[in-house]
Formats: sequence, C-alpha cells, structure tokens
Amino acid sequence: MSPPVGKSVTFTLDGRRAAAPEGELLVHAAARHGIFIPTLCHDDKLDPYGGCRMCVVGVEGSPRPLPACATRVAEGMVVSTNSQVPQFQRTLTEMLLAEHLNPNPGGRPNELVDLAGDLDVEAPFILPDAKREPYDDRNKFMGYDPDACILCARCVRYTQEVMQCSALSLEGRGPHARIVPTHGYSWLDTECELCGGCLSACPTGAIYEKFEEGTERPERELKKVKTTCTFCGVGCQLDLNVDPETNRVVKVTSEPHYVSNEGNLCVKGRFSFNFIHHPDRLTEPLVRGEDGELHETSWEHALDVAANGLARVRDQHGPQTIGVLASARLTMEENFAIQKFGRTVIGTNSIHSCEAT
Amino acid sequence: MDLLKLTTLLEDLPRDRTHLLDNLGRVRREVGPIDADLSDAVADHMNIRRGEVDEVVSFYSFLCVPTDVVRVCIGPVCHCLGARDLLAREQEQGNGKRVLGVECLGHCDLAPVVMRGDRVEPEVVHRTNDGPSTALARADETLTDYEARGGLAALREAPEPARIVEDLKASGLAGLGGAGFPTGLKWEAVAKEQGPRYVVVNADEGEPGTIKDRYVMERRPHLMFEGMLLAMRFIEATEGFVYLREEYATARTRLLGALDDLHSAGLLDGLDVKLVVGAGAYICGEETAMLESMEGRRGMPRLKPPFPSQVGYLGRPTLINNVETLAHIPAILCLGGEAWAALGTRGAQGVRLWSISGAVREPGCYEAPNGSTLRELIDGHAGGATDEVGSIVPGGAASGILPPDALDVPLTRDDLREWGAGIGSAGVQVFPTSYSPLTLLAETMRFFAEESCEKCTPCRIGNRGMHHVLAELERGRVAMPRRQVEEWLEAMQQTSICGLGQGAPFPMRNAFRHWPDLFAALGEHEASVA
Repeated sequence: MSPPVGKSVTFTLDGRRAAAPEGELLVHAAARHGIFIPTLCHDDKLDPYGGCRMCVVGVEGSPRPLPACATRVAEGMVVSTNSQVPQFQRTLTEMLLAEHLNPNPGGRPNELVDLAGDLDVEAPFILPDAKREPYDDRNKFMGYDPDACILCARCVRYTQEVMQCSALSLEGRGPHARIVPTHGYSWLDTECELCGGCLSACPTGAIYEKFEEGTERPERELKKVKTTCTFCGVGCQLDLNVDPETNRVVKVTSEPHYVSNEGNLCVKGRFSFNFIHHPDRLTEPLVRGEDGELHETSWEHALDVAANGLARVRDQHGPQTIGVLASARLTMEENFAIQKFGRTVIGTNSIHSCEAT
Repeated sequence: MDLLKLTTLLEDLPRDRTHLLDNLGRVRREVGPIDADLSDAVADHMNIRRGEVDEVVSFYSFLCVPTDVVRVCIGPVCHCLGARDLLAREQEQGNGKRVLGVECLGHCDLAPVVMRGDRVEPEVVHRTNDGPSTALARADETLTDYEARGGLAALREAPEPARIVEDLKASGLAGLGGAGFPTGLKWEAVAKEQGPRYVVVNADEGEPGTIKDRYVMERRPHLMFEGMLLAMRFIEATEGFVYLREEYATARTRLLGALDDLHSAGLLDGLDVKLVVGAGAYICGEETAMLESMEGRRGMPRLKPPFPSQVGYLGRPTLINNVETLAHIPAILCLGGEAWAALGTRGAQGVRLWSISGAVREPGCYEAPNGSTLRELIDGHAGGATDEVGSIVPGGAASGILPPDALDVPLTRDDLREWGAGIGSAGVQVFPTSYSPLTLLAETMRFFAEESCEKCTPCRIGNRGMHHVLAELERGRVAMPRRQVEEWLEAMQQTSICGLGQGAPFPMRNAFRHWPDLFAALGEHEASVA
C-alpha cells in the first residue's frame, strides 16, 4: 500500500531512526522499514479495529503496548517490537488456537495457522466451550464454519463499511459471541447479494466457497491466472484459480491492489464461472446449413452470412424491421459501436440493451 | 406479538440512533421480549440496518427475556451463601417459566437474592450510617426533605470555578467507581476542551459486592443530582445523562422522582438531563463502553487514547463521574476541600462509602474514612464477622483477594499495592474459611469470562482459559503449567483493551501469592525458581 502523502515525521523503530508520512498507521510504517508486524483483524479497506491485539507494540510514554494497526505515527514516537512483543504474539496465538476447532473447512488460506507455524506455537488446551453452534446455509455459493471463526469481525465490518449492507451480525457477548448471517437466518433471507466479500475478508477461511469441485485442493496449490471479468463493462480484475492437474477453473479470487475493483467482486464475477467449462458453451462460430443443422465454421464466413442476411431483410422489408439487442456484458465503447451500427449502417432506431431493464 | 400495540408504539419512538437502547427497552416492556421480528421492526422504523440492531439486541442480557423473568443472583457473595441451590430450586418451581442465573444484582447485603421482575427478594432494607459527607442514615423523600437537611447549599452558593477546582484538588477526591482518577483534574481537563460538552453519570454499578451507588440513589437521589448539576455548571454543559443499570428498578423510580422535583423547583431550567437505562451488561460500566451503548451500538470499549474528556459522547468532550463521586461534592464544597480531606485517617484523605457484605452480621453500606482497616469496617460498622474469616475481596472483582492477615492493613491504594491488591470500588466481601479461595477465584474468572464484551482476544479467551485452568485444578488436573499461566496473565493485563481484561489477572496473582499450596500442582513460576 502506498504511503499517504503529507508531512514527513521522524520516529524511532527498534532503536533506529525512521521516517514516515505523518498519520501513517504504525503497521504500514514498520513494514516499509522492513519490520513485519502480524495482524489478523486488520484490513486496509476497513476502519482500524484493534481487536485481535496481535500487532501490539511498545510505544514510549504509553503505560501499555498499543495496537500498530490503530496507532498512527507521530513526530518523535519511540516504538519497540522486540521487548515483550514476541511473547505477546505467541500467547495471543495460543489463546486463539484454544478455540480454533476447525482450521480448514474449505481449503482457503488460514493466517492464524500460518502464524502459529511461524511462531512454533500450539494450543495448550481446547476450551471446553470452544464448540459453537453449527451453521448450515441453503445458498449454493458460500459455506461457513463457526468453529474456524476467530471473531475478528472483518466480515461483519466489510458488510457494514464497504458493502453498506446488512448480511452478517456479530451477535452475543463474551463466550456466547458468534458471527452469523443476521438472526442466524440463511444469507438468502438477509440483504446479502452473495458478493462473497465477507469470504474474501476472512483471515481463517471460516467462510469459504461451497463448490463441489475445487474444495479438496488448498487454494495455495492452485495456479492463478489474472484476467478481466467478462460480466460487465466495469472491468474488475480477478484471478481464475486453475487446478494444475485438471486444468480447470475451480474458483475466482481477487486482490486488494487490483485496479478498478480493489479486490471486491460481485456474485457473478466471483461465483458464476462454471460457464467456462460448461458442455453447452459455444466455442466456435456456428452457421445453419442447407440441411437445417448448425455447423462449425470460420469467423469470416459466419460474419459474411450474418451481414448478407441482415442486408437482405433490410432491403426487402425496410430498416425498421430490424432491432438491435446489446448485452450488459459489453463495455461502454462496444455498446456505443453497436448503437452506431444500428442507426447508421442498418438505419433502425430499435436498439435495446438488457442493462436497461 | 401484539401488532396493534407495536404499531402505535413505533409511531412514538424517536428515530435518532442515540435512542436505540431506550426504544428497545420500551418495546420489551410494552410489547414483549425482542425477537428477530421486533428487532427488525425497530431497525426499519429507525432506518438502521437490521443486522446492526440484531448485534445490539443480542449484546445485552435482558432485551430478549420477558420483564417478569425470575433472576437469581450468582455473584460471589450470593454464590457463597447458597445461590446455586436457590437457582436450582427456583428452576424446579418455575413451572416452565424462565429462571435466569445472573451476575451480581447489586444487593449483596441481602444475599442470596432473587429478582422477580422488578421486585427484589428478600425485601430491601438499608443498613447504613450518618456519615459527615453523604449522611445516608435518613432517606430524603422529597426535595424539601433534602433542602431541610442543608441540601442545595453548594448549588445555590455557586462558588467560582477556580474555588471548586481548588476544593476538589485539596479534598483528594478520586473517582470512586474503581479507577480512582483525581476528580479535580478531570473536571479541569474537560472544561478546557472546546464545547459543546456533556456530563454523564455512571450509575451502571455492576462490580460484584458493590452496592453503594444504589444506596445513594435509593436514599438520597437529590444529593447525586446536586453533584451532577454542579458538574454541568462547571463545564458549561446543557445536556447530561445518567446511565443506570436495568436491575436497579427502585433507583430508577427515585431518580425520576427527584428529576421531577428539580424540574418543578426550576433547577433544570435551560438544562436537559436524561435517564438512560441499560439492559444487562457489566461492561457498560466501563466509560467508553457506556458511551458506545448510549450511542446505540454494542457496548464495546473504545481504543484509548483518545479519552472521553477529549472525545466522548458523540465525539464531544465528556465528563464521566460515578454516582458516589458526585454525591461527595456538595459536602466538599460546603466543608471546604481541606476539611473534607481531614476526615480521612492514617494519612489518607476524605471518606467513602464501603459496601460490606458476606459473612458479617450487619451487611450494608457505610460511610467511613479512607485509610480504615478491614477489621474496623467489619467490627465497627458491619456488626462483626459471623464466621472465621477465610478470605476478603477488598473492592470488587478485579481488586484482588486478601488473606485474613490483611485485616489490619489500612485500605489505601498505596498500602494495598504492597499486597498486590487494589481498593477498586470499595465493595468489601468477606468470605468464611468454608468457602475455598480456589472456588472464589474460579467464580471470579467465570464472571469475567461471561461479562467480557468479546472484542479483544486476551479478555475473551484469556478469562475463559483461566477459568478452565482453575476448574481443572479443582478436579486435581493441570491444564497448563504455572509458567504459561503467568504468560497468559501478563498478556491479559498488558494487551487487553479495557480495564476488564487488564484487571482480571489481579485476583489470580493475589491467590497465587497468598495461598501457594492451592496452586502447587501447577508447578513453580519461573521467576520464583530463579
């Protein structure tokens, strides 16, 4: 993430002088100076939360360590990540593991498990009340296992702060706290549009893609192919995740640094990719022969046949007998070219796009 | 659900988000327990996302239960005096009606306690004394009563702000809710901030063993309001709030009555003083959680800094004082700060209200000098112990657990620090030898776990982990070695967001220190090995 533009301040990081734009979050300033501070509840798309406490660092003058994800750099600040901080990280990881019953429900990456591996930490015990009420949703796209949830509330905050919708709730208090679609209903009975943004915000994979195919192989073993979404003209950047063995697209992801969509997708972009390998999908142009059947042909021949057909209808019956239907999947420029074609080449005013309905 | 009632009621409910908790409370009382449909109806009416109202409703213990629900207190004093049996009995006799075991109801002087709807059993009696500062012995029925006893003198005299600060500082008065921040400094700090400013009275007394604010509000509500009005005048606030815990029904009536009195007497002209009633969440006594609750969100503490004196209610500078703190202010201004400070003993300044409960003959709330010893309080005020004293909690759940050797220690912050304990809210709980410190400690950690808001890891999981360690130890098993327990306690104390998680390690460490044999199975703490 590029640092905010502004006045530069100098501060001390683990005994070294460092510079940062005033007001930059400590976690980012430290990263730019080569010091990685682990976070779980932090998400650059969301307001600072400071809940998981994994990123606490010592700040001179503060009686207690402060969360680097919610503390901003100020002139003369003296920050330390080496005294008690590593032990806090280990203990907090132990704590989270003590109620982390199912680390891998859907094959998505799990940042808590990674952190535990890096720090070589295990759960000292499993809390007797760690088991949460299971959740089963009848929607086809997203699954959720409460036992993998660490209550960082990134998903809930994503729905509230980014999507501005009411799909998920952080319900209850203390040991009874849980995250569920509001009232524990199905996602389909909330305001949810199944964009899957909550899923992409989840650091432990507690919310995951619910596909028959592609869930057995962990996401990290999939090959990512960056491309542009074909569903509309916004041009969201996404990664087709390809199973290297079958060479089939098994899921779609996106990254926060991708231009135009910042990692956000809609239900179509994220979940409607099964047309790619669908047996009914046309992969070659087809032209109906004299035998009444469709035959594969070249684009050149297919376009000639279409042009001749359109010209014949226009000449015999007049241009107003032809209507042009454009698609919402086209870009603005393509739609412009189509209406131009309709009006000037064919001479019709009957032009429509499914975007209008 | 009575739809007709709901429709009429909804028309009446203000739409501003700060009214959410109040609106939900009204719907609960007038229509029924808040279920998903009622929650959505309120959300739609107020134009708040349904999910956010669901989050708020489920945060509190009582919004989803009927108003006539039977609540059995399982706070430490009630627990020691047989609350578990009482709960089982009530559940048996409940005929299918819901009976809840709830955390401290703030009637420890009557333990064990049951609330049927708003009615407290056994019947409420006040055991108190006529101290020079709060004079709780006689209850004021009306403002006339209050004035006849010298009330309103400070408010009418209207001392200069500079003199008020001088008196407050000289008195040594420090926040009596438990945190102990010097009141004079706090008033001064808020007054310096850019207006508009607010005053909030913290009447969400929930610290186990603490009943003092209830005594003040039930007996002398005008006294608290005089302190509050002085505060509002001092910081030039025109809006003020009293955040009262839901369980204090009598106090609610008394406060509303006193507000009516003050209104009729013209003392509230140009001022807006509102009562905000909570819905069952200990954490809302934490000042920033309280502000969140008042703003219609889950009562989860904010990250500090900034402090409420700078960024408080609705982002404005806010003066938050405990009920008892305000109740002492008229006396301080009338007597003068130094004279009030001289009421203390053994070098400590001033007096405070001590809630004394448990194994004593006359449990109640007594005004006594700061610097008093436990023995003086128990024998001199509470009629002596009923049993051999086994352990004492000096000031609420997080203040620590002391052995009988500490009976003659002056109860001041400094003296108690040497014992690893704190004075907290001065909710003194006396436990007999028959009640094991291990059980007391396990109950304390269960309480913290239950009342954690859940936001931060060390509090949400740390307290449950500590409870697990103690529960296992009671069964003779070791869940985690002592070294690791200490690591967890340190992380809880240092990295928790608010005082709940930060304070929870104190009773654990106290118990380790004073009853080492009980914890020997966990092994040695590395520091003590070295």
